[in-house]
Amino acid sequence: MQYLLLIYADEKLWAPETGTDPSVFQEITAAHMRLGAELQEAGAMVGANRLQPSDTATTVRTVAGSQSLHDGPYAETREQLGGYYLVEAADLDAAIAWAKKIPGGPNYAVEVRPVHVM
Amino acid sequence: MGRDARQVLDETVREAGDRVRAALAMRFRDLDMAEEAFAFAALRAVETWSRDGPPRDPAAWLYAVGRRRAFDLGRRAKVRTEAAHDAPEPAPDPETILMAAFEPIPDERLRLIFVCCHPALAPEARIALTLRTLCGLSVERIARAWLTSEVAMLQRLTRAKRKIRDARIRFEIPEPDAWGERLDAVLATLEIAYAQAYEDAALASDAADLAGETLRLSGLLAKLLPDEPEVLGLAALIRLTESRRPARLDPAGAMIPLSEQDVGLWDRGLIAEAVALMRRAAGLGRSGPYQLMAAIHATHAARMETGVTAWDDIARLYDMLLSVRPSAVAEVNRAVAVGEAEGPAAGLAALGAVAGQDRLETWLPYQAARAGLYAKARRETEAATALRAALALAPAPAERLFLERRLAALTR
Repeated sequence: MQYLLLIYADEKLWAPETGTDPSVFQEITAAHMRLGAELQEAGAMVGANRLQPSDTATTVRTVAGSQSLHDGPYAETREQLGGYYLVEAADLDAAIAWAKKIPGGPNYAVEVRPVHVM
Repeated sequence: MGRDARQVLDETVREAGDRVRAALAMRFRDLDMAEEAFAFAALRAVETWSRDGPPRDPAAWLYAVGRRRAFDLGRRAKVRTEAAHDAPEPAPDPETILMAAFEPIPDERLRLIFVCCHPALAPEARIALTLRTLCGLSVERIARAWLTSEVAMLQRLTRAKRKIRDARIRFEIPEPDAWGERLDAVLATLEIAYAQAYEDAALASDAADLAGETLRLSGLLAKLLPDEPEVLGLAALIRLTESRRPARLDPAGAMIPLSEQDVGLWDRGLIAEAVALMRRAAGLGRSGPYQLMAAIHATHAARMETGVTAWDDIARLYDMLLSVRPSAVAEVNRAVAVGEAEGPAAGLAALGAVAGQDRLETWLPYQAARAGLYAKARRETEAATALRAALALAPAPAERLFLERRLAALTR
């Protein structure tokens, strides 16, 4: 069964003007690489990506059949979707175990969503 | 026919219902199907046992008929999804298979508890699911305990069961690396359930069945996990608290504080069980919050033998509890114990040191504790002010009566 692990974090941490020490960023990136390798090794990796910041997002909204564009993410919250892993796991516990291994800054959240089975 | 079929069924359900329900749930990995299969078996039991007399092993009968029913339900569901037409179904004949080989009912209760109390489920959903699936409490009864409508409770249960199925929560005992987190979730669930049952002593008869279930569940868990000291600690804690139920209210329905209760009304059997559980837990050598809370209550219970309360011991135990599990409740209770052990001035100082004073102003246990300490210090005006503040915070009927009486005594 597949689970989508959605990573939500405060993107400001990564913005250049925040002045976060680049080594912090490098360490987290390296940790993602390690996790990716571990997922591959375990045969659990289906896909993974880091997303561009939410100010690059466009939301296409359909209301009563008519569509309009909105400059920005679906929800304007402090923590934004910043990336995801799509993993193959036997059950929720196994998926949660992967989610707990996802690296990040001091504060972030990972939502674990089972993929609908057709 | 010997005993009445209905009576045998009630007895069997009371004694072995949880075991049969758990075995069905685990066998089919489907909580809804297990529930339906159990209900069907119980219905069949009344019909069949009235006619033919109860079977030799009524629990095994229920399990066999329920299992057969679940197979049929599963087959029907499969037919529905795989073919447009309804295939003809073989007529279920549970009665004939009964006398054939009864296999022993596997004890799957622990696995079911871990499924129902998975930390990925909201705490209130966990306890509702446990009471429904394992204990067999009606949705209506659970809804009443949580002051919600039957429809809302049914939705909560349906949502939880759907999550278990669709997010694939595993029907297994957790792995060692997840054990601590999973066990904590089970213990927290039981603690919440008991707190709800304890809530209003004035509704004693109504809350008693819920208290009875949590008492039973905690005892069952202690039997299934005899080497987990916190499991034993929680079972002891619930027993000690429950032992005082008969002494908690006076004839007028007013609350009687623990230190003024008639020890002759305490349930000695429950206290003895708790002491045995705590002794076993202590032997395992891993302390924890539930064991500490049980120790506090056991120190109160010792008044039954000694006639006095060792308040200094209680204050020390609260210090230890606060270091492992800080909470405002424990801080306020510690201040009360300090007030008894070292005098009201020390108690008031301890109460004044509790963090977040502005939020505490509107918290009933805080105002009640403050009133008690001021009264003890003979500062009547401040005591009366605190009592009035407490009364403005919508106390439960038993506590309202108690507070009103204290206020009347002060302003006499």
